[in-house]
Amino acid sequence: MPHDHPHAHNKPLSDVELRVKALESVLSDKGLIDPEAIDLIVETYETKIGPRNGARVVAKAWCDPAYKDRLLTDATAAISELGFSGVQGEDMVVVENTETVHNIVVCTLCSCYPWPTLGLPPVWYRAAPYRAKVVKDPRGVLEEFGVTLPEDTEIRVWDSNAELRYLVLPKRPAGTDGLTEEQLSELVTRDAMIGTDVLAAR
Amino acid sequence: MPTLTPDIVPGLIATGASARLDEDVAPKFKVGDRVEMKNINPVTHTRLPRYVRGKTGVVQRAHGVFAFPDTAAHGHGHKAQHVYSVKFSFRELWGEDHAENMFLYIDMFDDYMRPAP
Repeated sequence: MPHDHPHAHNKPLSDVELRVKALESVLSDKGLIDPEAIDLIVETYETKIGPRNGARVVAKAWCDPAYKDRLLTDATAAISELGFSGVQGEDMVVVENTETVHNIVVCTLCSCYPWPTLGLPPVWYRAAPYRAKVVKDPRGVLEEFGVTLPEDTEIRVWDSNAELRYLVLPKRPAGTDGLTEEQLSELVTRDAMIGTDVLAAR
Repeated sequence: MPTLTPDIVPGLIATGASARLDEDVAPKFKVGDRVEMKNINPVTHTRLPRYVRGKTGVVQRAHGVFAFPDTAAHGHGHKAQHVYSVKFSFRELWGEDHAENMFLYIDMFDDYMRPAP
């Protein structure tokens, strides 16, 4: 088996890793959790639930105007039509990017994120620099992601620090008229559904 | 028997646990209202971040009734109340040198707000 991932083995564990292991031991010793349940949760989010779910929602909204209407008025119900619901997606809002408006999502409190449609958040989304900067200088953050928007594009930053979770409906890229819903869903990136990416014309 | 076991994991993940409450509570605000965030500095849990305290925004969307994290997080009851999406201009939050077409939306609870003067 090849084993070429870039971390050193036999390194001391980081503070966070130690803390997590300590917490798991305590909860397990007290009989509150079965460690196998934790493994199953991790496996589910590593292999079954991720941004391909959100991409299917987006592609359907691009192809089906009635679905898009439902998605923008009652996102939780419209998303669950495709079978995506549950933890950290109990109460969803979808915001639409247009020719004149660009939306970006953040959680300044911690790392609130729509798990059923996007999976677990990337490291940068959970990191203080993104959370602190995007609410004050979203254009600067977009530049760091290689995205420059026209000055007259309205920017809306959504701080999901309460109980609602947000998904961005990106603009459908130009030159995709002939594509099927499935082909379209393959074009949708995770970052476009957070709002830190704009899908390029084909 | 542990509380969290593998057999309940799929159901837990699929269902989740909404903080939404089915309680009949009157809203204190409505869409279109100008609202001022209270300038309070709790040392306990809150979802009212410092950067909006004392700032004025407009209620954009009413989300319904939810548990109040400031009390619920400390085991002091749900204190059911309405949550709204409130829109702030960057000029209000960060100063007049910011562009006019930039806005911040955040979900705020009844207890965080008062009518703007």
